[in-house]
Amino acid sequence: MSIIQILFYLLSGLAVFAALMVLLSKNPVHSVLWLIVVFFAISGHYILLNAQFLAIVNLIVYAGAIMVLFLFVIMLMNLNAATEPNQHIWMKLAGVIAGGCFLVMLVSLASQAGDMANKTVLMKEGNIGLIKELGKILFNEFVIPFELTSVLFLSAMVGAVVLGKKDNTQ
Amino acid sequence: MNAIIFSALWGVVMMFSGIATQNRKTITGLSILGLVLLLGINCLHAYGIWVIKMDTKGAMHFDSIGLFFNAIAFFATLLYVVLSGKDIENTGVHAAEYYALIFFVLTGVSILTAFNGLLMLFLGIEIMTIPLYILTGADKRNLKSNEASLKYFLMGSFSTGIMLMGIALIYGATGKFGIAGGVSLAPSTGLSVRPSFLEVGGMILLFVSMCFKVSAAPFHFWTPDVYDGAPAVFTSFMATIVKSAGFFAFIKLFDAHTAVLGDSWNILLPFVILITLLIGNITAVFQQSVKRMLAYSSIAQAGFMLFALYGNNDLAKEGILLYAFSYSLATIGIFAVLIKLKDYSLDGFNGLATEYPFLAFSTTICLLSLAGIPLTGGFFAKYYMLSSAIKAGGIFWLVIAAVLLAAVSVYYYFRVIQAMYFKTGAPSFNQPITKAFQWALFGVAVMIILLGLFPTLLLNFFYF
Repeated sequence: MSIIQILFYLLSGLAVFAALMVLLSKNPVHSVLWLIVVFFAISGHYILLNAQFLAIVNLIVYAGAIMVLFLFVIMLMNLNAATEPNQHIWMKLAGVIAGGCFLVMLVSLASQAGDMANKTVLMKEGNIGLIKELGKILFNEFVIPFELTSVLFLSAMVGAVVLGKKDNTQ
Repeated sequence: MNAIIFSALWGVVMMFSGIATQNRKTITGLSILGLVLLLGINCLHAYGIWVIKMDTKGAMHFDSIGLFFNAIAFFATLLYVVLSGKDIENTGVHAAEYYALIFFVLTGVSILTAFNGLLMLFLGIEIMTIPLYILTGADKRNLKSNEASLKYFLMGSFSTGIMLMGIALIYGATGKFGIAGGVSLAPSTGLSVRPSFLEVGGMILLFVSMCFKVSAAPFHFWTPDVYDGAPAVFTSFMATIVKSAGFFAFIKLFDAHTAVLGDSWNILLPFVILITLLIGNITAVFQQSVKRMLAYSSIAQAGFMLFALYGNNDLAKEGILLYAFSYSLATIGIFAVLIKLKDYSLDGFNGLATEYPFLAFSTTICLLSLAGIPLTGGFFAKYYMLSSAIKAGGIFWLVIAAVLLAAVSVYYYFRVIQAMYFKTGAPSFNQPITKAFQWALFGVAVMIILLGLFPTLLLNFFYF
């Protein structure tokens, strides 16, 4: 086993474990902190896939900005284990059944997949994740979607103003 | 490209119109002008007279059916603004912004009718739904509106996450965003070339999230609350134009992909159709509020539109155009009346016919069309859907079930008619019913009847 494969298994194990801990922690703040660990592990995978830019963006945007926002919201709302709503047993059962069906589907699909066997990393293969390539693709092949995204942001901005502005006249 | 660019630009124009003028009539007039121009520019594209050409690198493909659907959506929006423009103005203080958001939604609709890849599908769906989250919460002082908006936002974001996961899996399997279905990059080691497990899983996730967007059961739970909580004017918009556009995208997306799913598709889809029809129709029977009843009825209508997905032939494509148009007309008509009423419950309609017989007549036509009574547009819409499914074969039992459930739907639509004609009462209105409004609604009723007599009138435009 090469060093890369060891890293791969280490990061995968860490990601799965941290993801489980997100769900299992009683304290929402701990969940958020575990989520940050998940993002770090995923960023590690990106680096293994030779996508450094994506790895850094993932850290800055998700682990940095969004998780801080999450923490703020949780602390502002003062959520803790005691205020967790008591869910109905049938709700839990329905959730387990639905999630279980999805798991069975994914596992059965994965077990049929010959094309996924023995594939772990793409270290030093391809340069698609590098920032130079990303820029080229973004402004050549995907320039139309890129420009149209501006409409999306514009409408979100209009929305934020509409919802956030004080109605003085009413 | 014409419609996409123009609708986005006019959205910006509407935004700035709020600075230039505080007169709400002017703003509504400006948006009507914009919609007429948009319709014209789209027709110029459809007939090839003036086309903004742009190298989209295969991200988009403009075909006549998509452009024609655009025309239907823009025309329905035009009718909607003409009928309910006053109510949009009175929902809050930001009339110009609401119109801007409506134009952005139309940008999303025109992307969805032309997408040629999953990336554009995603962008189209998001551009279409994000303004809706805001329009749902437009009535800021109303707690129900706030709740509906938040609920819609959270659940919508969740289903978007599922869609993204599906897109990621499909991209992983095929290495491209195309919707052509293509052979997988890495075929499995089996004897024959079979789609990669990632692609199958991705398609199922896409199916789930699209079902959510068009409110097909079992992913319909948000619909009644959101449609009920949102200001009625915007419910009307959401339940008609946006929903039909979602269906159009759904059918376009799965057009070439049903082969990937193989036999499981023939189990999955009939199941979804059946429970959508069942839940929509049966629950609608028990509703006391007409607004909520229309929300369930829109689920039931979604069940019918899903037949086009099953049929997946020329008849289905003609049918979805017809269905989108007749359903939008009828629902916009009923909502236009409902918005004016103070009381949204069934009793609110009591005695409408004695006070405004002309108005009640037009409303009755709309309700009959939704129920699918012959001589109205709704009949042929349902007829096309069911015959496309029969032509595709295999689910005759489901067609019979659909006809039976359509009969159930007659019951709850007729309860409104009964309230209007056979019960006494004095309906109270938020706004005076003007002559112009009555004639506009009558115009809608005439269109519905024309569609019911000559459905080819609409379809001939398509083949022109």
